[in-house]
Amino acid sequence: MKNMNKEKGGKMAVYEVGRVCMKIAGRDARKKCVVVDILDSTYVMIDGETRRRKCNIAHLEPLNLAVAINANASNEDIVKALKEEGIVCDIKKESKKQPQARPKKQKAKKKTAAPAKKAKAESKPAEKKEAKPKAAKKKE
Amino acid sequence: MVAPKYRSRSKRRVFVRTPSGKTVIHYKDRAPKTGTCPVTGEKLKGMPRVLPAKQQNMAKTKKRPQRPFGGVLSSRAMRRVVINEARALSQLE
Repeated sequence: MKNMNKEKGGKMAVYEVGRVCMKIAGRDARKKCVVVDILDSTYVMIDGETRRRKCNIAHLEPLNLAVAINANASNEDIVKALKEEGIVCDIKKESKKQPQARPKKQKAKKKTAAPAKKAKAESKPAEKKEAKPKAAKKKE
Repeated sequence: MVAPKYRSRSKRRVFVRTPSGKTVIHYKDRAPKTGTCPVTGEKLKGMPRVLPAKQQNMAKTKKRPQRPFGGVLSSRAMRRVVINEARALSQLE
C-alpha cells in the first residue's frame, strides 16, 4: 500500500474532490465527510458530519459514493449535497466572536516610574542637610 | 498487633512519619490494574488508574478517550471495526 501511494494516481486518486469518506481515527471516527480540497500527497481538507479540517488520508476510509461539489465548497453546499445522498448533518454556524488581539506589555510605564523615585530620593537628602545645621544650632 | 484484616498483602502499606517522630503504617487499597482491549490485548490508554470512589469526582472526559468505543477498545481495534463498517456500507451502496 505504501508503494501505491508513491506511484502516480495511486492511493491519492481515490480521494478526489467530492469523495464521501468515513473518518476512522480520533473523536470524529465513524463520521462521514466529503473531500473538499486536496492539499498535498498525504493531506486533504474534509467537511460534513465532522468539522472542516485538514486530515491525513491514512485516517480516512473511502466510501462507494461521491457528490458533485466544487473545490473549497461552502459548508451549506456540502450539507445539501450530502442530504441528497441520505446523509444528514447540521450546517455549522460561524462563531460571531472575533479573536481579540493580545494586550501588549507596557514597559514604558516602568521606565517613567523609576526616574520619579530618583527625583524624590534626591530631594529628601537636600531637606535633611538643611535640617541638620538647625539642630546643631539648637545644641549650641 | 494489627487487626487481622490487615495481616495480608492485599492492602498497600504506606509508612507515615507522625509529628512525634514515630513511624506508623497506614493500610491502603491498591490501585486497580489498567484495562485491556478485548481484541488486541493492549493496555488501554487515557484511562486513570484510581479507585472507583475517586473516579466519581472526575470529569467524564478524564475517564476515557473521546472517540467511539473509547475506554473499551484500543484505537487499533476501533479502527478495524470502523473500517469494516465503512466497507460494509460501500457494498450496500
